Amino acid sequence: MRKENFMKKQKNLIRLSNLLLDSLNELKKARLQQIQTMMDDFNVKCSEATKDSNLFRTAVEKGWLIGADDIRSKISRNINDFSYHLQRFKEFINADETSLPNFSDIYAELLQMEQEFGDVKFDLEGKFLSVTTDPITLEGIPLGPFEVSLPINRISKLYSDSPYRVIALKPNPASCNESVTHPHVSDEMLCEGEGHVAIRIALEQGRICDFFTMIVNILQTYNPSSPHVALDEWDGISCYDCGCTVDKENAYYCSSCERDFCECCTSYCHSCDETICLGCGTECPDCGELVCESCLIECSQCGSRLCRCCAEEGDLCSECRDIAEDNENVEQTKTDNEKENKNEKQDKCSKKRKANAKV
Amino acid sequence: MRILFVNNLGAGFADYVNIADNTTIEQFFAIKMQDQHEADYLIRVNRMPVPKDYILQEGDRVTITPTKIEGARPVMA
Repeated sequence: MRKENFMKKQKNLIRLSNLLLDSLNELKKARLQQIQTMMDDFNVKCSEATKDSNLFRTAVEKGWLIGADDIRSKISRNINDFSYHLQRFKEFINADETSLPNFSDIYAELLQMEQEFGDVKFDLEGKFLSVTTDPITLEGIPLGPFEVSLPINRISKLYSDSPYRVIALKPNPASCNESVTHPHVSDEMLCEGEGHVAIRIALEQGRICDFFTMIVNILQTYNPSSPHVALDEWDGISCYDCGCTVDKENAYYCSSCERDFCECCTSYCHSCDETICLGCGTECPDCGELVCESCLIECSQCGSRLCRCCAEEGDLCSECRDIAEDNENVEQTKTDNEKENKNEKQDKCSKKRKANAKV
Repeated sequence: MRILFVNNLGAGFADYVNIADNTTIEQFFAIKMQDQHEADYLIRVNRMPVPKDYILQEGDRVTITPTKIEGARPVMA
């Protein structure tokens, strides 16, 4: 029975080695295709230079001096472009000295992985290889164990995408961002930082064990200068407005929109003293103070909304109140004038009456 | 004597290097990884851990991997 299990395991390791080898061949092919594309670009630049050279020769021979000068300027402009492409092409073609591993190298890598990590999973159906880390605690914050999973058919996507995923098995994500399960992992993608090139080269060269070792070592290290969420803000709250992280004690809750905010993004209602965010506060057109939605009252005249304090002096805004006061004054003046006119008429009548009596 | 040296520090590379006979892994580390502490590296010879007085042999495969690698948030262009 034990021998059978051993044989089965050996068979699986052999099959997995072959799968990995095929995928690494695909990766090499992708790399060579990149070189081919770059070479094609370079060839286009070369043929443009040849074309310009022929034009220049013709122009000089025919004595078209102005035309020759124009072509010379064009060549001068293109030369900078040409040397840039040449330099890039040189760097790219020299960097590709990756020799493909053979079957026994890959097989040895898989055996080494078992020695180093113990818990190595390979699923021949789903075609992925994964290791599980020990529970990780950084600066006193438990982040739980992580599974580093490498789908074998994604190895060839190394140059366009991250081919592996880092999955938190007992996630303790940052309270301000659920997708950040580790200071350097967001949406199951590891930000490799200084390990980026070494990880890529390890995979290109089929050093699968080194590839996983470096990823695990990054997970066990904290770089405080460039995390997705800093560990000292791990349990903090993210301001809904500006996105900065604040301690729970220093966060402000807006009861209007039911969200948390930092000090800079909050104010208070000058009418009821309730904490409100800047988005939920409205400036009273009369006094200019910020008030919450429930403390706003509509002006019965123009419909504009004003705070309770300003509405206490009648349910009119200052503008409508001024107009109303002006109208009242006009009415009063009218009444006064009418009274005056009446009095004048009465005086005139009484004077006339007196004069008539004398006569 | 020629050995394969896989250095996973920085850009990482794997290349054959010539060393003197009877060089121990400790001496090799001191030569290749100047001013570095052994404790900060995972050192393997032929994929296995070895004592520091292990004498390197022709064709050995030495792997040195830092145990502390700092991740970083990608810089948005």
